[in-house]
Amino acid sequence: MQRQIASDYLAEIWRLRYFWMSLVRVDLRSKYRRSILGIGWSLMHPIFMTIVFCSVFATLFGLDIRTYAPFLLVGLAFWNYVSGVAHQGCQCFIVGEPYIRQQSAPIAIYPLRTTLACGFHFLIALVVAILLSFVLGGVHHLPALVYLVPALVLIFLFGWCLALLCGVLNVLFQDTQHVIEILLQVLFYLTPIMYPADMLAKRRIGWVAACNPLAGLVEMLRKPILEGAAPSAASVAMVLALVTVGLLVCAWTLARMQRRLVFYL
Amino acid sequence: MAHLRLEHVGLDFHVRTHGRISLKEYILKGMFRTRSSTSTVVRALDDISLDFGEGDRVGIIGHNGAGKSTLLKVLAGIYEPTHGQRAVEGKIASLFDITLGFEPEASGWENIAFRSYFQGETPRTLKSKMEAIAEFSELGDFLNMPVRYYSAGMCVRLAFSIATAIETEILIVDEVLSAGDLAFQHKARKRIEELLARARVVVLVSHDLGSVAALCERVIWMDHGHIRLQGPPAQVIAAYQAMATAGERLAA
Repeated sequence: MQRQIASDYLAEIWRLRYFWMSLVRVDLRSKYRRSILGIGWSLMHPIFMTIVFCSVFATLFGLDIRTYAPFLLVGLAFWNYVSGVAHQGCQCFIVGEPYIRQQSAPIAIYPLRTTLACGFHFLIALVVAILLSFVLGGVHHLPALVYLVPALVLIFLFGWCLALLCGVLNVLFQDTQHVIEILLQVLFYLTPIMYPADMLAKRRIGWVAACNPLAGLVEMLRKPILEGAAPSAASVAMVLALVTVGLLVCAWTLARMQRRLVFYL
Repeated sequence: MAHLRLEHVGLDFHVRTHGRISLKEYILKGMFRTRSSTSTVVRALDDISLDFGEGDRVGIIGHNGAGKSTLLKVLAGIYEPTHGQRAVEGKIASLFDITLGFEPEASGWENIAFRSYFQGETPRTLKSKMEAIAEFSELGDFLNMPVRYYSAGMCVRLAFSIATAIETEILIVDEVLSAGDLAFQHKARKRIEELLARARVVVLVSHDLGSVAALCERVIWMDHGHIRLQGPPAQVIAAYQAMATAGERLAA
């Protein structure tokens, strides 16, 4: 019975695919409509951050730029995605309000729109990071890139859940967006984005990364790209647990909110 | 078979007098188990039972705030009833606030595409309709411009042209009979009539009693969330008008 409802819901999302896909296209295009660099801007942020962090941290901690730069670029690409999904996810239903009031459709398509637009920028940044790591370290990690496929699927699902939950919470409580802003700031420093995870282990606070599923997600990207290896079982398990819980919470939320969201807008 | 039925449907709105609730308020409320004083319940619809079947052309009339639009939104499945049951058979299309929901940065052409996709079209089925929609809107080269630059009247023309190009079984219409300027209104009126002829069940709300009488075979008079009277157009409209003028006389 519940399985039937879930598959009907997904089928309905798929039926409306041309709708949300064209909205994503507009989002991407309108963002850069009157800018000279166009899509290049989505690269500028992580690249400049990388340059800044590299010049600061490489000298401060004595890290080797040749390994640190691609390491950081992957981390920042991931982080921009997470923070973009969370921030824009807060607004997803408010932006989609005219559609929600017009016709009944699965509300999950609005966070999906956000996630796909952020995901597009993430992929571009990730490709640059991969190219950079090849330029600096050679192409012998190429075969390991197949490990990125499951990683990207999980990152997409995680983003969709995050955007949906942020969006629903923000409709119910408008302070969500401010809370999210603070949480993201804190999480940025708790997640091994700027620093390697083993730096925490050396200071005997390795549990900070070990309990953080976001750290697992970053590792699933970094291991194949930077080391040409499969991600550790522990981090994959943590990420799978995160995404499973996320999907369950979203299913529960959708069951409660699909019909009621319109009353809160 | 197209069919739409409401059984003892009621709808309560929880209206918060101070906008959205804050997290602080919510937590405090939970901690001290106090009732939130900022929320009041408004019964927008009360015990509505209706049955629309094949070939029905139904008009809904009533003064502002009588629950006409709310009733349409329940029929269209946008609002879930808080009491009672709703049963549908057939594909529903609704025309509400047709000027809402344009993507301002996208061109007229692109907006035609989104709206149509939202109504369930695919690129293949849309291809043949695109030209017809564009032609009906008479917007010509303006369709290449972002909708942001359109005047209100142009938006109405575009929205109307898209919304009425759909093939549907059950059509639910809220006050779109007066779209655009005089010349366009005449065209729009004809278009609506064609649309009404094609759809198998039509429910429409209008303040234009003449149109309701001309287009519908059955009229429902809504008053304070209840059905005040329903029946043949002439009879119900006469009763409604008598009531409205009686109110005026009373006031004078």
